[in-house]
Amino acid sequence: MYGYLIRRVLWIPLLLAVITFLVFILGVYGPGDPIQLMLGQHANPETVARLKHELGLDRPLLVQYADYVSKLLHGDLGTSLKFRGQPVSRLISRCLGVSIPLNVVTLGWSIPLGILMGVVAAYKEDTALDRAIVLTVVIGISMPVFAIAPILLYFFAVKAHILPPGGWDGIFSANVILPAIVLGIGPLAVMVRQTRAAVLQTISEMYVTTARAKGLLPKKIMFKHIMPNALIPVLTIVGLMMGSLVGGAFITELLFGIPGCGRVAFETFTARDYPMIMAFTILGATAFILSNLLIDILYFVIDPRIRRPK
Amino acid sequence: MNFKEVMKELVRNRPALFGLVIVTALFLTGIFAPWLAPSHYREQNLDGVNLSISWEHPLGTDRLGRDIFSRIIWGARTASFVVVITLALGTPMGIIFGAVAGSFGGVIDTVIMRIADILFAFPGMLLIFFLAATLGPRIDALARSTEFLDPLVKGGYIDYVVVIATLALIGWAGMARLVRSQFLSIKERDYIDAARGLGASNLRVIFQHILPNTLSPIIVALSMGAGGVILSEAFLSFLGIGIRPPNPSWGAMIFANYQFWRTQPMLVWVPGLVIGIIILAFNFLGDGLNRAFNPFSKRR
Amino acid sequence: MKNLRILSFVLLLGLVLGACGGTENTEPSEFTPPASSQRPPVLHLLGAYPPTRDPHLATDATSASYIVEIYSGLVTIDPDLNIVPDIATSWDISDDGTVYTFHLRDDVLFHNGKPVTAEDFKWSIERACAPETTSPVADTYLGDILGCREKLRGETFNVSGVSWSDDYTLEIAIDAPRHYFLAKLTYPTAFVLDRDNVGQDRPNHPWTDNPVGTGPFRLNRYTQGEELILVRNTYYYGDPMPQVERVEFMISGGSPMILYETDMLDSTPVGLQDLDRVTDSNDPLNAELEIVPQLSTGYIALNADQPPFDDPNIRLAFIMAVDREKIVQVVLQGAVQYAPGVLPPGMPGYDPNVQGIPYDPERARQLIAESSYGSVENLPDVIINVSGGGGAPPGAVEAMLEMWRNNLGIEVLLQQTEYSVFLVDVSQRPNPYQMFSLGWIADYPDPQDFLEILFHSESLDNKVGYNNPEVDRLLNEAAVENDLERRVELYRQVERLIIEDGVWLTTSHGKNYTLTKPWVTGLVNPPMVIERLKYVSIEP
Repeated sequence: MYGYLIRRVLWIPLLLAVITFLVFILGVYGPGDPIQLMLGQHANPETVARLKHELGLDRPLLVQYADYVSKLLHGDLGTSLKFRGQPVSRLISRCLGVSIPLNVVTLGWSIPLGILMGVVAAYKEDTALDRAIVLTVVIGISMPVFAIAPILLYFFAVKAHILPPGGWDGIFSANVILPAIVLGIGPLAVMVRQTRAAVLQTISEMYVTTARAKGLLPKKIMFKHIMPNALIPVLTIVGLMMGSLVGGAFITELLFGIPGCGRVAFETFTARDYPMIMAFTILGATAFILSNLLIDILYFVIDPRIRRPK
Repeated sequence: MNFKEVMKELVRNRPALFGLVIVTALFLTGIFAPWLAPSHYREQNLDGVNLSISWEHPLGTDRLGRDIFSRIIWGARTASFVVVITLALGTPMGIIFGAVAGSFGGVIDTVIMRIADILFAFPGMLLIFFLAATLGPRIDALARSTEFLDPLVKGGYIDYVVVIATLALIGWAGMARLVRSQFLSIKERDYIDAARGLGASNLRVIFQHILPNTLSPIIVALSMGAGGVILSEAFLSFLGIGIRPPNPSWGAMIFANYQFWRTQPMLVWVPGLVIGIIILAFNFLGDGLNRAFNPFSKRR
Repeated sequence: MKNLRILSFVLLLGLVLGACGGTENTEPSEFTPPASSQRPPVLHLLGAYPPTRDPHLATDATSASYIVEIYSGLVTIDPDLNIVPDIATSWDISDDGTVYTFHLRDDVLFHNGKPVTAEDFKWSIERACAPETTSPVADTYLGDILGCREKLRGETFNVSGVSWSDDYTLEIAIDAPRHYFLAKLTYPTAFVLDRDNVGQDRPNHPWTDNPVGTGPFRLNRYTQGEELILVRNTYYYGDPMPQVERVEFMISGGSPMILYETDMLDSTPVGLQDLDRVTDSNDPLNAELEIVPQLSTGYIALNADQPPFDDPNIRLAFIMAVDREKIVQVVLQGAVQYAPGVLPPGMPGYDPNVQGIPYDPERARQLIAESSYGSVENLPDVIINVSGGGGAPPGAVEAMLEMWRNNLGIEVLLQQTEYSVFLVDVSQRPNPYQMFSLGWIADYPDPQDFLEILFHSESLDNKVGYNNPEVDRLLNEAAVENDLERRVELYRQVERLIIEDGVWLTTSHGKNYTLTKPWVTGLVNPPMVIERLKYVSIEP
């Protein structure tokens, strides 16, 4: 099983290389000739040739790619086209300064609550409470952000005047409440589902039956035997959510006017700002892959059963 | 498990029944939209803008005097069209790749599954957004310069092509994973060995024995996936790189009227809730189908 | 060349979703209105993303609105739209009208404390005209100066028309006696920059990050997508001294009305969606509303360089097929004024009797039949370009699409392009767009600013491939005409010819609907972009 883990770790650089290559090709050549995009269709051929040379677009593709990657590794992601002259890395680090705290708050309420609700639902399996929780969760998963946000905004910000309609002032202001609710509904629903399924799965396993046969109290079984094991698959989901930090909140950030990465991504994607588009896509994928790996390793450390060779 | 039994199971399960009814209604509405809608989706009436609810306009009219009810109905056509075509393109691709990977293994398996891994390496909607943004202009230019695609351009349907191409390009991977894992587990079973022992060829085994057995998980996955396609289409249209006005899309409708969320919240709520209910219906239906196909395991 | 994102009136509030970015001194409790006794001398305004912050490159009203506060030039425009002294206290004009001698103030300092001399002006004008500056507007606004066009073409190093005899005397020679020349000097292209500041330009750290100007305000902070903060320039020479300490522009978008109602903005433009409410005299907001007609014109350009609009009959057919008055009245809710012609009311030379092209679908169809294309089937695909990235095109354009479809049987396709890309595209020669929606807001109150800059066949800002020798001749004549009445008459003739040629489907003249809090005094809402923040004060 260590072999699996090693293979998994080795696969990552390769995966990242392939992803950056694909993003590079699509970002530079996907939408059409980049020079033409910059200068328009009727540009003077001399200018085209000069710009092509200046930007290094007249070199072989692989050389260009190698150059891009080597700059990438040094933290140089080029300069934004839309925000003229601003380095991509600066723009992105700034928006991460907003997105990361926002996501921490979001996951901070939704994951614990989701686990709690999941455990309760499993514990009260097949009761009205369980069914109500499950139903709420499915509805929560189904409602898109752009359906929920305007409704919440209307009632809490306009009608009741109890919450600000948007804006960003750090995570210790009331501004964070509505977006954190909207962003958290999805993770909450996923958490409930996963936890409930994991707990039920564990309950049905042998050692729980044994514990019960030994006459242990249901509550004690729940906390001592079921919970620790049920929480392991839950970790996976947390990993997936952390990974979607960069690109996960386009609409919410847009609707609430939060200057986070989702919003910046939206602005630059629609502006054909390809250096920014490529940076977002690569960073998003990297964060996602690495958090998945981290979770796998955690799994490995926590759960002795996985370590056993197959 | 035959069709009748599945239906019986579905009808007994109330959420699944709800899902089935809504999904059927969606497709019927989509098919018959031109006859169901009181007016054409782009028909404007500048003498009757921003009307509130009435018999003539059950959901009122928008700022250009278009009947919102009609646009919702036509939006069902867009949604069901996108779902059907996307799944029709992505599913066979996924099944073929998954089947090939699962039955042959080795290098082919590795290559296919690694490609799928790459598609899974992007969080949330990021890849969809990226592909639509980068490939959109290219597809557009390609269609403009291609003779037989010209009607699509002229008719203003090129945005559908972009959305469907993007979603199908991504959608096959999930199906391929599913089919592959089904193949791997079924391959181990005794009756396959038996068939082999009786001299059945590889292809015969695949088509006669393995594929039919993977059918029910595929159907469940399709139902779940359809909700995802609807959401993605709305998402892209909402961000302005999906279905473009005046073509009717619920996502685009929300965005077009978003500035009025305060004074005319219905303009935003109605399409939003419709999208939500449709996705909910697909989820319920998927859950229900899952139970109907696997009556012994009450839960996944 | 102040392009105006037209219908930005609607777009501003519609497309920019969400809400404002916080500011550093807003407490979490800011959400509740601050007690009036604690109100700091800080003005909170709604801003928009400036495509450029370099005065010599600015081509749009948004960029200019910040630049005029940070920088200044020889002359400026006051809130009553008169051209008044700024850094130049007075000037003499030679008898033949071609040499201007400016007498500069001797107490003007850059934001970094360095004194401003005539040499700085010469350097700035030469920098604006240098080909490597790539100013899209130097030709338009400085091209009259002797040697400027030569320098733009890379033929000389020196702009021969600009010279200085001592630190505070600047002489500018132009090619012909042009009535509007002083007015052109109010445009940012003629503003003075600090040579050392511009010299600090480094890759990834453009000099405009820390601009050094002479205007009443300094740029304190600009966070892309979030906020732009100006602070009072304590070295300011002018009158009055700026009274507010800081001006904070929130550019992260948002629902400005809500921000205004919760006192997070001191002033906000009003969008269509809230118009009914604020114009209702029973609404408390009504008392805070000011409506000011803008010197602007919104139009759909029908580019004569691109088929099918190379045929004037097709252009006229497209215009006649649109019921513009109805669109203004219904889709734009009468919030703007229907524009039959090019010049907005209030502009010198505006002709109240101007005849627009009438709405006449019958005649429009006939014109297509009479055109060189003969029928609709022979027309190439027609695409209209609109700026913007989101899914919602302006309602007026959607209404037009439907009218062209119903009245002419032509399916016009809509394409949306992000604003800064859009501006680059339309500045190309020939412009690649067949049709596009844009607006123009006056740079200075002179009809030359509309008619010559936008329609002279040699003007770089003629975005529609318009070439009418008769119009060129009249414009050249008007440019050097000293008799005011005769000038106006010439420009009116030009406007009529332009309307008849149908390169502009004019839609509307803008109106600003602005709400301002009662504790803000002196915040003018001018009909065009001028410096205005130094007049503002806030009651504590």
